[in-house]
Amino acid sequence: MIKITGVTKIYPTGTPALRHLNLHIGAGEFVSIVGQSGTGKTTLVKMLIAEERPNKGTIEIGGWDISNIDPNDVPYLRRQIGVVFQDFKLLPKRTVYENIAFALEVAGEQRHRIHQVVPQVLEIVNLAHKADSYPFQLSGGEQQRTAIARSLVHRPKIIVADEPTGNLDSINAAEIVDILKKINEFGTTIILVTHNREIVNHLRRRVITLHGGEIVNDENEGKYKL
Amino acid sequence: MQSLLRIIKFAFQDLARNFSLSFMTVFILVLMLLSVNTLWSLDVLTNAAVEAVKKQIDISIYFVPEATDKNVNEIKSYVAMFPEVTDIKLQSKEQVLAAFREQHKLQKEALDALDELGKNPFGPTMIVKTREPKDYKKIIDALNVPEYENLIEAKSFDNHEDAIERLQNITNRIERIGFGLTVLFALISFLIIFNTIRVAINTQRMEINIKRLVGASNWFIRGPYFVESLVFTVLSMAFTMAIVFLGLRWIDPYLAVVLPNGFSLTNYFYSNMLVLFGVQALAVLLLTLLSSGLAMRKQLKT
Repeated sequence: MIKITGVTKIYPTGTPALRHLNLHIGAGEFVSIVGQSGTGKTTLVKMLIAEERPNKGTIEIGGWDISNIDPNDVPYLRRQIGVVFQDFKLLPKRTVYENIAFALEVAGEQRHRIHQVVPQVLEIVNLAHKADSYPFQLSGGEQQRTAIARSLVHRPKIIVADEPTGNLDSINAAEIVDILKKINEFGTTIILVTHNREIVNHLRRRVITLHGGEIVNDENEGKYKL
Repeated sequence: MQSLLRIIKFAFQDLARNFSLSFMTVFILVLMLLSVNTLWSLDVLTNAAVEAVKKQIDISIYFVPEATDKNVNEIKSYVAMFPEVTDIKLQSKEQVLAAFREQHKLQKEALDALDELGKNPFGPTMIVKTREPKDYKKIIDALNVPEYENLIEAKSFDNHEDAIERLQNITNRIERIGFGLTVLFALISFLIIFNTIRVAINTQRMEINIKRLVGASNWFIRGPYFVESLVFTVLSMAFTMAIVFLGLRWIDPYLAVVLPNGFSLTNYFYSNMLVLFGVQALAVLLLTLLSSGLAMRKQLKT
């Protein structure tokens, strides 16, 4: 599903973010990526959605080498990977429904299909009753669930969640992780980047630990170790 | 087609949801266009005033009483050959006499003296108009030849020469200052509009970033801003035209008093509407498109 081979990323300032990274994530896996701040976790996420390019090495997603992806193809890649961020990244002047529909509208989906899909994903994240609310009218957990709903509309094979619980209390955080687990059960690969020890230990899934831009630990039923 | 309709829908949603910013952009565009139109009107008015003054200047050539119709017509044909000449009027010696009597009808002494002479002391008069005041010098020089020396008694141009030169200097200076002001103002307006739109787009940087992350193509992100540019252009032009024509309706009666021949700025704007407002609309559209294009360029780099 995801094959990262010999990837090195050095920013123009000279700061190395990732060093010779090799990683394989299979279809349907639930992988937590942990590590201290500045160890390259977010850089890895950015490279998976082609927001950053590696200086060396290759990144393949479903057999598609995106290391030197054509800028015109980036929107198509992003429609195939669902992304969830710590700061939710919702359009503030659009309602919950419109935020989710937007991801389909940009892909040129027909209106009837949008009317069909958006209520479905709202049901999955249990937000149907908030469809007409604006982001500022929602709690942090509800905003994150909206972001997850948006990431689901294209039925992606992969969802990358970068610190999705970082801004949430423990109850909301657990709720978000439950939703991600539910999505994973449908066969979607989940890559969870997190600092939350409790969540990682509770999951009992594969844990990859990054340190200084390198993988220092990779266990199938791992725990949060730093 | 569906994408285009969505781009238009998003543009109108953005305009409505960022109403204050949209209002400010249109407001500044209207101010800029009003300033351009004011400068343009001033230029038209200056030209009309100068033309009116120029039209009042002519050269009168007074022939000796002995000059025959043949002599006068020969000189008239000679003068008419000059491309600078726009009009020649001839007054026969009888018409000159009648005009003199009319002009001095209250001065009994003058009329008595005329009667005492027992004959018409006036010769015919030729009134010449040229395109530019500076052309009169050429006509005068052309008539200063020995063949016509005995036929022409006087030429009235000398009296106007200084006035014409002064007028010419003032006109040139006004044109230079007007052009300089127009260029300066256009530059300032360009910078204000450019920055207004850049600020508007920069405030939406986060939104643009989010749109990219959910897979919107660059054209899908740019599209609404281009549609907004079009809307800004249409709105600012509509408001400007409405204000300009209302202003002209108010100012025209005052101009009619000052300027002769029924000059009307309203008529000028109506007859040149397509060029005047077409050029302005095109300039505003290019300005807004360029501003939004440049402001987004950095944010759309992948």
